[in-house]
Amino acid sequence: MYIHLKTAFDYIKRTPFQALAATFVLSITFFVVSMLSVLVYSSGQLLRHFETRPQVIAFLKDEATPEQISALQTRLGDDSRVKNVNYITKEQALSIYKEATIDNPLLSELVSPSIFPASIEFSLEDLSFAETVIDETKKEAIVDSVGFTANLGSENTLGDVVTRLRQLTLYVRVGGGALALILAGTSFLVLVVIIGMRMTTRRGEVEILDLIGATPGFIRSPIIIEAALYALIGVFIGWLTTLILVLYATPSLVSYFGEIPILPKDAGGILGMFGIMLAAEIFVGLALALLGSMLAVSRVRAR
Amino acid sequence: MIKVVSVTKHFGEVSAVEEVSFEVEEGEFVFIMGPSGAGKTTLLKLLLREYLPEKGQIFFDKVDVTQLKDKEIPSFRQKIGVVFQDYKLLSERTVRENVEVPLAVIKVPQAEWEARVDTILNLVGLSKKAEMFPSQLSGGELQRVSLARALIVNPKLVMADEPTGNLDWDTAESIVELFEKINKEGKTVIMATHNHAIVDKLKNRVIELKDGKILKGKPKESKDVHPS
Repeated sequence: MYIHLKTAFDYIKRTPFQALAATFVLSITFFVVSMLSVLVYSSGQLLRHFETRPQVIAFLKDEATPEQISALQTRLGDDSRVKNVNYITKEQALSIYKEATIDNPLLSELVSPSIFPASIEFSLEDLSFAETVIDETKKEAIVDSVGFTANLGSENTLGDVVTRLRQLTLYVRVGGGALALILAGTSFLVLVVIIGMRMTTRRGEVEILDLIGATPGFIRSPIIIEAALYALIGVFIGWLTTLILVLYATPSLVSYFGEIPILPKDAGGILGMFGIMLAAEIFVGLALALLGSMLAVSRVRAR
Repeated sequence: MIKVVSVTKHFGEVSAVEEVSFEVEEGEFVFIMGPSGAGKTTLLKLLLREYLPEKGQIFFDKVDVTQLKDKEIPSFRQKIGVVFQDYKLLSERTVRENVEVPLAVIKVPQAEWEARVDTILNLVGLSKKAEMFPSQLSGGELQRVSLARALIVNPKLVMADEPTGNLDWDTAESIVELFEKINKEGKTVIMATHNHAIVDKLKNRVIELKDGKILKGKPKESKDVHPS
């Protein structure tokens, strides 16, 4: 192993610009892959947030009796399409209002619990059930009106919100995946070209090793180690750059998205996520290096 | 140890080796002689399984090397030390590292390398030049490194293709003396050369080739089988 490592380092020292080019391309690739991974995670979290937060609020008529409210709560609780059913009394509604208007005490002083309707809030297992469930809830005798909380601005219906979110997530995943594939393909080709050039310049050396009984594995080892070194350095630089950027941007992102947990809240969570990412990228990087060097070696030896 | 039976090798229309047969016993020192183009190098390459003959068989320790599978060739070659006219040294490696390579190939523990390399470099008289690069050595010294590399794995057979071809007489003589020395220590040596002076000096068995055919084999061994 020592002799292969030494040979690999010698190759790198002999052609530093080729080594730099390979490392640079791989660093960019893994930087983009890391950023896309974070984006995919965050968009997934965003979608999950909207899918799981209390989306539907059934405002109850004032004359609704506790028995009727309890019966509706039970009925909704038993519905497999519905989850997180929660009853909000008039007093709780007032307190939520006061909390929301804490910066303007005048607004809260002018209201009393009587003007706020009691309500039942619930989430849906899947937003595709929304329209049916809302229609059914509207038909309940004690329900005055039904609203939903998901809204991104210009959407008028829950369907619009869901469609837009799903489209965004799809764009991120498909677009990001395509970009990652293109970059990974480019890195693969760069590795094949550089390792191929290395093999061509080493033709005499390969011949000597062949004649003294070196196995193909022995001959290939320094080449594979060299490619693996490029990949590992590229992965580390790309990953570290992303980690630094994400850590730098986290306070701003958390304050912008508020309660939406687009990134893990604590440093441990972020490091855990990045740890998994690093492991996956090392695996992909080594696979690229192995495949690229094997292909380059077999092409040169076949000539 | 080696038995070549009716081996034929062509390159297109050109017959490089034609119906060649001979035997080499263990511990022998045999010269393969002939002018340029006689087929000496082709014969050595056939023995090393660099080429595959169109016809005939080559036995090494009773194993037909023409029947070896690709994956068996490296372990076969590891049993043979080879010295080339153009040395074939790794130019970016020191003398010591060049000699270490075969040890790495046959997976000798690294702890043993230094002692083994020192012994061999001492044998070929290059102890003081162990850390030098090939570009800093003379032709004779390069050939000694090549020989040291061939000997480091303690092969039963050493093959040399024109090892004195690029050397002056005095240097060539000293190299041949080294081959004689290792032959006396029990190793079988097959040396291809066109240098009559060397052959005459050592008086070993000669297999003479011309146009790919054996012209004569010294009667002492009388085991060379001439083509019919």
